[in-house]
Amino acid sequence: MAQAAASAAQSAAPSLSLPPSQFARLQPHAYLLAHLSPPPATNQPSIRANGRAPSQFRVTSANTGSLTHTNGSAVVRLGDTTAVCGVRAEILHTEDIASWSVSRSTESSSAPTNKRRKLTDPTTKPNERIDSKDEDDNESHIQDFNLLVPNLSLSTGCAPGFIPGAPPSTLAQSLSHQILTLLHSTRLVRAEDLRIWYQPPNLGPEDLECHNENEQMDVDASQEDEKNKEIKAFWVLYIDVMIVSLAGNPFDAAWAAVLAALRDTKLPRAWWDVDNEMVVCSDAVSEARKLTLRGLPVSSSFCVFEADAASGWRAVVIPDAEEEKELDDSARKGNQRRWILADPDGYEEGLTQERICVVVDKEQGGKGKTVIQKLEKVGGWTADAKELKALVDISAQRWEDVRRILNEQC
Amino acid sequence: MADRRRINGPPGGTRPAVFASSLNTADTATGRPQRQRQFNELRKIFLKTGLIPSASGSAYLEYEPSASLAAARSSPKSLIPPSSALKLACTVHGPKPLPRSATFSPNLVLTTHVKYAPFAARKRKGHIRDSSERDLGVHLETALRGVIVAERWPKSGLDITITILEAEDDRWWGDAPDSHDAPWGMINVLAGCITAASAAIADARIDCLDLVAGGVAAIVSDESEDSEAKPKLMLDTDPAEHKAILSACVVAYLPSRDEITEIWLKGDCSRAMLGADDKRSGHDALIDGAVDAARGAHSVLAEAVRESAQRFVGLAAGAQ
Repeated sequence: MAQAAASAAQSAAPSLSLPPSQFARLQPHAYLLAHLSPPPATNQPSIRANGRAPSQFRVTSANTGSLTHTNGSAVVRLGDTTAVCGVRAEILHTEDIASWSVSRSTESSSAPTNKRRKLTDPTTKPNERIDSKDEDDNESHIQDFNLLVPNLSLSTGCAPGFIPGAPPSTLAQSLSHQILTLLHSTRLVRAEDLRIWYQPPNLGPEDLECHNENEQMDVDASQEDEKNKEIKAFWVLYIDVMIVSLAGNPFDAAWAAVLAALRDTKLPRAWWDVDNEMVVCSDAVSEARKLTLRGLPVSSSFCVFEADAASGWRAVVIPDAEEEKELDDSARKGNQRRWILADPDGYEEGLTQERICVVVDKEQGGKGKTVIQKLEKVGGWTADAKELKALVDISAQRWEDVRRILNEQC
Repeated sequence: MADRRRINGPPGGTRPAVFASSLNTADTATGRPQRQRQFNELRKIFLKTGLIPSASGSAYLEYEPSASLAAARSSPKSLIPPSSALKLACTVHGPKPLPRSATFSPNLVLTTHVKYAPFAARKRKGHIRDSSERDLGVHLETALRGVIVAERWPKSGLDITITILEAEDDRWWGDAPDSHDAPWGMINVLAGCITAASAAIADARIDCLDLVAGGVAAIVSDESEDSEAKPKLMLDTDPAEHKAILSACVVAYLPSRDEITEIWLKGDCSRAMLGADDKRSGHDALIDGAVDAARGAHSVLAEAVRESAQRFVGLAAGAQ
């Protein structure tokens, strides 16, 4: 009896130190905080629980063109988050568009006004003028006719919380919509690449006569053959993103996959076949052409981690000038109270409220200025203008890295 | 009604691209890919576990591209791929407690989901699971239920999700769509699903009787319009490479117990021409062939599971 009690006491001897993995699960906030603000005596650097510096992104790799049944495809791995994107092109005949004839007549009336704007605005730089020339008419086609259809799926068993077979979760819907908005606002894909034109053969004078009415409306068209050209169909790009593995920051991974897949996308040469009254494509690879994308917008996400665990529950009070000064002072003394973490993993995302997403591009393939395409900040008030400026600089560095990774592919 | 939770394309719908070369049938007669393997030679299988860390177990499976597809990849001429190679990812979540509303179960409750990516097949797939995907899920569940030692986890659930990134073709693209009635590609997909799911379950360290492996055999009659067609038995058929598949069979096989947990046989297997000294019926020969193919897949599976176990031992040692 006594022996048994002794052995029980021995086995139950409390080990006061938890292994790190258990501590991380029981006290996630304290665990991350202890990593970020180590006691000054230990002389350890401030580092995240996953071993990265606060502004360090995870190892990123991309692979394009490995899926057989797509026009363009890409796999992007951002640490343990994996996104697979496949682009499929299908054809939308203009006769299937209910509002086609209406929109076409407004298009021809809007052309002269564009021209006038160009004449009265001589201050525009030459490169801008080229830009505005090729987008003056009908960039709106992409939005009006839904030519880009991005959808993101999380119900692939990528994380335990998402039930497979269920309709897309709120997060999936929101991500799909963010991708769509970003595609539209960056105007990444050119509408001209998606048009399929038809040039009717010139049949002689009587043909010209019957087109006279059109001629009066079409002021912009100067050449005879240009005038008769008409759009017969559009390419519709179905951009499907499957998040195969989710470990935080799905948007950056998904957007990088979309970008890489669009850069890989090849559309076959297509023409209107008068006899069959349908659009027919050529299957020769040499005749297919790649999309010419506008720029290379790269997305970088950040989250703000606060030392005060309850800050998420407090009423939001914007600090006045004195408090701001105190915060600055304490930060100068090395007593940092909040950290902006780049590319958060799933563990860090669970501990933070405030998210920042920056999408930047650089003009002229990296030599020009940095352009902010999107700047989104939700969930808190702590990151101020100064810090956002620093984040844009970090994103600009990230842009270089991502460009290098994507260029290695193609 | 339109799906309001997803971004829908143009309301009138779109049409897949039609290639000029597929309109005139004269061009297409020569293009069918040829099988370069022996009749009993399997395609190489790439199988890796643990690629998805957020799941308790995961596996990624890929078939080696056939010779025609590899040639088309290295020097692309046509935009129409000659055939395709299976690629799928499998995740296992669990064992986890069943929801409170579920009735009591003394065993592990297994749920399987098989979903094609929209870009997986030659024809665009919908986002919502269709009946063929549900059918695959049921077959997969049958194959796995016989392997898992379910009574060790009462009141628990196990979710197995398979995402097919690239499916096998049902037939050669140049054939008219109605030339074969059955979707033969599904048979190959199921075999891949079984092997991948088995690896993922082992990676999740769920107790099993054995490693179950999937294998496919088929009776095909091709290559001869001149002589009379001799239906032959082939292992691991790629439907794009054959003119007519008479029947096909997939088994889920436990090699060390010599048991079959799932068998799915389609078509007419009575006309198989076997060797002169072979007294088996076509039906038996077909199942034996599928079992042989499963044995081949099992060797790959065992290697993948060994890697998974070594990784686990390494993790356990690192945690100490």
